[in-house]
Amino acid sequence: MHIGRIIGTAVMGLLFMLFIALDLVLFGLIPLNSVIVTLLPVIGLIGGGVLGAVVGRRTATAASAGPSSQ
Amino acid sequence: MSILRWVIAGAGGAALLLGSASLAGAEISGTNGCQASGTWREGGFTVDAATAVGVITIPRSDTVDWQGSVTAPPGTYSGSVWVELPPPFGQVEVDSWSGDSQTTSNSGSHEYDLPSLVPAGVEIVVGGEHTDDNGSCSGSVTVEIDGGPFSSPLTAVSLVGTALTGAGMAALVRPMFGKVA
Repeated sequence: MHIGRIIGTAVMGLLFMLFIALDLVLFGLIPLNSVIVTLLPVIGLIGGGVLGAVVGRRTATAASAGPSSQ
Repeated sequence: MSILRWVIAGAGGAALLLGSASLAGAEISGTNGCQASGTWREGGFTVDAATAVGVITIPRSDTVDWQGSVTAPPGTYSGSVWVELPPPFGQVEVDSWSGDSQTTSNSGSHEYDLPSLVPAGVEIVVGGEHTDDNGSCSGSVTVEIDGGPFSSPLTAVSLVGTALTGAGMAALVRPMFGKVA
């Protein structure tokens, strides 16, 4: 488990989706009191964590497969 | 199959956006027969909380001649006006009042000048409530400041933030798209 990568990607996902939500509000696509403003950062946090875990697993698989293939 | 997945994801996103759109406009209801209205001097329009429909576009700065009334002497009264924020932040109170009176109406003028940081073109729901000895009433109105998204520096900051965090996100998940040896 790459906890550091999972947390890093989750935080980055949270910030990314927070800015997306802010963009949607500022461009008038959703109202200020929309629940989407709350949901998007949460989706970013969870999605980022999942992506971080997938990337970590894939990186570990690549690292373990690397020496045996040579 | 992947095209179908993207179509479903896109339709879901669109439904989420459309479904979140609030019914814009104004409404007022209660048990003490309250009424409220305001006239923007430079804007040259009047908003009556009971009849206004749609999103009301207001100037960034102006003077509003307001009036409010109830049908019977209120006695002990209190009330407040607030701006609704996304959940779970609730509401931010912008003004409140309280006292004891037998007068059934009140009026005044309020000059405002919103800073450029407040974004234009954003639908903002402003709510209000008044309670007195005869009952209570509450209402809301949806307003937006006249102008485009780039009249606030916040938009540029947000777009830069989106680009930076998007690039960071792409860098972090990049190994996912590489070939496993």
